[in-house]
Amino acid sequence: MKTVFAYAKPYKWFAGIAIALMLFELFVELIQPLIMAKIIDEGVMVKDVSTIYEWALILLVLTIVTFIAGVVNSYFSAHVAQSFAFDLRSALFAKIQSFTMATYIKYPTSALITRLTNDVGNVQQVLFMLLRIMLRAPLAIIGSFIMAFYVNAKLAAILLISAPLLAIFLFVMVTKGIQLFSKVQKSLDGVNRKLQENLQAIRLVKAYMRGEYETKRFAEIASNLKIDSMKAMRTMEYIQPILLFVMNVSMLGIIWFGASFVGAGDMKLGEAVAVINYTMRITMIFSMFVFIIILFARAKASAERMEEVLVVNEGVEYSGDNTHVINGDIGFHDVSFRYSETTPYVLQDVSFTVKAGEKLAILGATGSGKSTLLQLLLRFYEPTKGKITLANQDIATLDITALRQMIGYVPQQSILFSGSIEENILWGQEHASTDQAVAAAKQAQIHESITAFDDGYATVVGQKGVNLSGGQKQRLSIARALVRQAPILILDDSTSALDVKTEQALWQALEAQRATMFVVTQKIQTAKGADKIAVLEEGRLVALGTHDTLLQTNELYQQIAASQQEVAR
Amino acid sequence: MSIRRPFGYEPLLTKEDIKNAAPKKKKQRANDWRQTLRRIWHIVDEQRFLLIIVLVMVVVSSALSLLGPFLIGKMIDTFVKVGTTDGMMVWVISLVAIYAVLSLSLFFQNYWMIGIAQQTIYRMRTALFSHFQKLPITFFDKRQHGELMSRATNDIEAVNATLNTAFIQVFSSIITLTGTVVVMLYLSPLLTLLTMVIIPTMFYGMRWVTRRTGKLFKAQQQAVGALNGMIEETISGQRIVKAFSQEERMQQQFEQRSKALRRASFWAQSYSGYIPKIMNVLNNFSFTIVAGVGGLLAVKGYITVGVIVIFTEYARQFTRPLNDLANQFNTVLSAIAGAERVFAIMDEPAEKDHEGAQHDLELQGAVAFDNVCFSYEKDAAIPTLQHITFTVAPGETVALVGATGAGKTTIMQLLARFYDVDEGAVTFDGKNVKEIARSTLRSQLAFVLQDPFLFEATVADNIRYGRLSATRDEIIAAAQKANAHDFIQALPKGYDTVLTADGSEISQGQKQLLSIARALLADPKILLLDEATSSIDTITEMKIQEALEYLMQGRTSFVIAHRLNTVRNADTIFVMQKGQLIEAGPQQQLIEQGGVYATMLANSKQ
Repeated sequence: MKTVFAYAKPYKWFAGIAIALMLFELFVELIQPLIMAKIIDEGVMVKDVSTIYEWALILLVLTIVTFIAGVVNSYFSAHVAQSFAFDLRSALFAKIQSFTMATYIKYPTSALITRLTNDVGNVQQVLFMLLRIMLRAPLAIIGSFIMAFYVNAKLAAILLISAPLLAIFLFVMVTKGIQLFSKVQKSLDGVNRKLQENLQAIRLVKAYMRGEYETKRFAEIASNLKIDSMKAMRTMEYIQPILLFVMNVSMLGIIWFGASFVGAGDMKLGEAVAVINYTMRITMIFSMFVFIIILFARAKASAERMEEVLVVNEGVEYSGDNTHVINGDIGFHDVSFRYSETTPYVLQDVSFTVKAGEKLAILGATGSGKSTLLQLLLRFYEPTKGKITLANQDIATLDITALRQMIGYVPQQSILFSGSIEENILWGQEHASTDQAVAAAKQAQIHESITAFDDGYATVVGQKGVNLSGGQKQRLSIARALVRQAPILILDDSTSALDVKTEQALWQALEAQRATMFVVTQKIQTAKGADKIAVLEEGRLVALGTHDTLLQTNELYQQIAASQQEVAR
Repeated sequence: MSIRRPFGYEPLLTKEDIKNAAPKKKKQRANDWRQTLRRIWHIVDEQRFLLIIVLVMVVVSSALSLLGPFLIGKMIDTFVKVGTTDGMMVWVISLVAIYAVLSLSLFFQNYWMIGIAQQTIYRMRTALFSHFQKLPITFFDKRQHGELMSRATNDIEAVNATLNTAFIQVFSSIITLTGTVVVMLYLSPLLTLLTMVIIPTMFYGMRWVTRRTGKLFKAQQQAVGALNGMIEETISGQRIVKAFSQEERMQQQFEQRSKALRRASFWAQSYSGYIPKIMNVLNNFSFTIVAGVGGLLAVKGYITVGVIVIFTEYARQFTRPLNDLANQFNTVLSAIAGAERVFAIMDEPAEKDHEGAQHDLELQGAVAFDNVCFSYEKDAAIPTLQHITFTVAPGETVALVGATGAGKTTIMQLLARFYDVDEGAVTFDGKNVKEIARSTLRSQLAFVLQDPFLFEATVADNIRYGRLSATRDEIIAAAQKANAHDFIQALPKGYDTVLTADGSEISQGQKQLLSIARALLADPKILLLDEATSSIDTITEMKIQEALEYLMQGRTSFVIAHRLNTVRNADTIFVMQKGQLIEAGPQQQLIEQGGVYATMLANSKQ
């Protein structure tokens, strides 16, 4: 919780003011009985009406001042709590952005979403309550204890038996509560995950008429959440009745001994009544405490989940410090890679070089490691063995942002964001002008399609580009990469949905870029135009050469070519 | 720092907002609230029996918590004052019994209430999810996933927080309140009346606050939704964010939305913070009245000092439940804001079959488009599909070719009836698609989508999605036919390997193989393959060609493919251009025609 609450530190002065205001309220509440005594002793008893007016007026003024203090406290507390939540969200989001792709796989999107909203909310709530009322309860309990002992230590000693017992009991319950509530949050992740999955797959679900099946599966997950929540909350419900019972029985003990002490002449009646009064007060505040404890346990569970993300170190992208990234030859040197230690190698001992400005086509069967190879170049993952160089520098020593600035990447699956088409293109290069966006769109052969839309470049792209055709999405994400005018272009089978004519025009436009190109493709036709073709088979580079040489020397390439020549029977 | 902009937070409410929340629209708003509450109640009410037990427990515990202090007072008078413990044992034992019952009733009222609340929440969540399944695709096209997710989690959580406590609190407060007023009236009707003057003040205070908070809570829930939408999109698209080094910009965008949430929450929290303070000031105020007026009365000899002392205690007891009620009102408001957003989705019209739509219909597989026009957006200048007419006989294989954006996928989507046509008709076996129940149509149709989607489940379960009743052997057989068996076997746990959400452990092409296996298993009458093999290498494609051909045998099939060798075996080729069907016929005929298709073919042979 420490790591998380450190984010409240910048607001400690505001928090201090809030607490001071709260203490003022508490103070007024405590002196009210004193003023009351004054009214009785100095007013009613001596029949002095003006004193009564005087003190009543003081009470009235205090009441108004307290109200103002309370309201101001509310603003200060809200400011502290909300700013804290804001900073915490920003920190979490920044941390998540710095994750490596390998770490992303460990934390499903849904789990991160819960942390950024629900978990932050839980902790924020506690902070707000802390500044407003929470501190009052323990202070009032401690105060009442001290007063009880001050009045009569002998009688109050009975509280010394029950208090430690209750303290241990509360400690055990809070520990248990934290566990249970973190399970609840985890179940909430599960609900979120199912929701997200279902929304993404909604077309598939509809096509296969699996709505009811999906609802059934969701009901299972939602039912887990229900059971976990019930368990956590019900466990917390043990606290209040037990606490009340122990305190009530202690009070009976105090009355019993009080009676006998008074009988024996060891103490005065007033003292006994006072101790009983303080015990009742403690009991009352304790029952309010329960509510705080539940909130606290919940917040603590949430805080731990956030800390888990905040303190991740090995999963954060490692960046070299060499910002002097220059364009040049790209080399793979005995690169091997596997996603985790338990899975087989996806790439094995891959070595080749691509000269600056050259176009490399990568061919191979499904699952042969083509996409993985590109991802290593982008440093989404680090090679398990070997190294990758750019202009003879190991890319691991390069500043990661500087490296990626050099690259225009078009993923296999087009990922678009909600926003206009223009925004989606300019996404690639923030500072590019509209003209540059149009130029990139023209190069990507999408300009005409865009202008055919009613709103042209201002056409709003729905969630993940649902309102565009597959080929339009692909070309839009190509335009997004081109607008960067990066010296290295990576296209991961990004033209699969394009027809032959459009694709030819696209390649012609791309040639003009003079960028070093890595192109994963299935089509011999596309590979033909490359300076070099790499053929991958089960993670190994089996051949490297031009179309003509490979056609003569490599059997796999011949087969691939043959499979596509058939059409030309 | 200005008072209107504390700590620099821009005001969220305009004068109009506050006015609008008042008199004129009040009735409307109160109606909305009542309706929302009634809908929640409708779900809670299903557990009426448990609810009654909880109520009984609340009555018992409230009565006992009033009785306890009373008996303690008696004990003090009888024993402590006298200084004896003689005969006290009976009292102690009965009080222990009372306290035990009190604790038990407290425990069980909460125990069962938690059950009721969680069940209600569960019902709401599942109902919302179930409604998602029934909504038309157009609904999802327009909304961010994260925003929708927020409704099923954050908004429902807001209801959750209230249900657990509100019900018990409200009832116990009312009971305690009534009890206290009775005792107070007994002690001094005049002072009681004076204490009551705070009620109208409280009423106005509450109205002042709720006029503001109602809207603010809604704004807060909306801001949470927007933030959720942004997070979901960014994190799902993280690959692109990284590749383009856009982390900083995403951070800025995030903070912008996060700031909007901070602002809404700040105002909601600040204003709702008024309620306990108002109660507190009234509390203190009544204390002042009792002390001041009581003092004067005592001087005149109307009441005794003892009555003043006891009365101040009772006045406190009187305002405490009021305070609780006021606080509950606040959380109820935020719950209503959440529930309203949930119900707003549930009120979205579901995909509905026409009246008299046929359910028990076995499709033969004849498909026709009759002069079909369609666009995704209303009033689009150029419709996505324009006057498409064709007929396909049962068992025929149709290949759709054409430039991207020509409308090929749209034809598929209309066949699956994800959308309804604007003009013309889609017919199956001569029957308008609108006269066939969606479930009947879709259960006889298998769709392999452009973007293969895999669930976070085992490989076997992902294939089984095509036919839930399939056996393990059938699944393996389908995988073998789709040429997926070998790579599945190479996975760490074979068919039992659990795929992660982004499915990064298998390649895009392998995903396509799995979704083909899924379709093979479904054994449909009509098959829709939308770029089903685009990410598969041509050698593998050749291998599964046989399976696909087998799959297409005896079924009406629609195939979209850009590689022309995939389409060459089709019975008919439809050539699409800018939303129009410009050529149709077998390959040989189209080549002889020397039209668009012939040119395309020549291009690819170059």
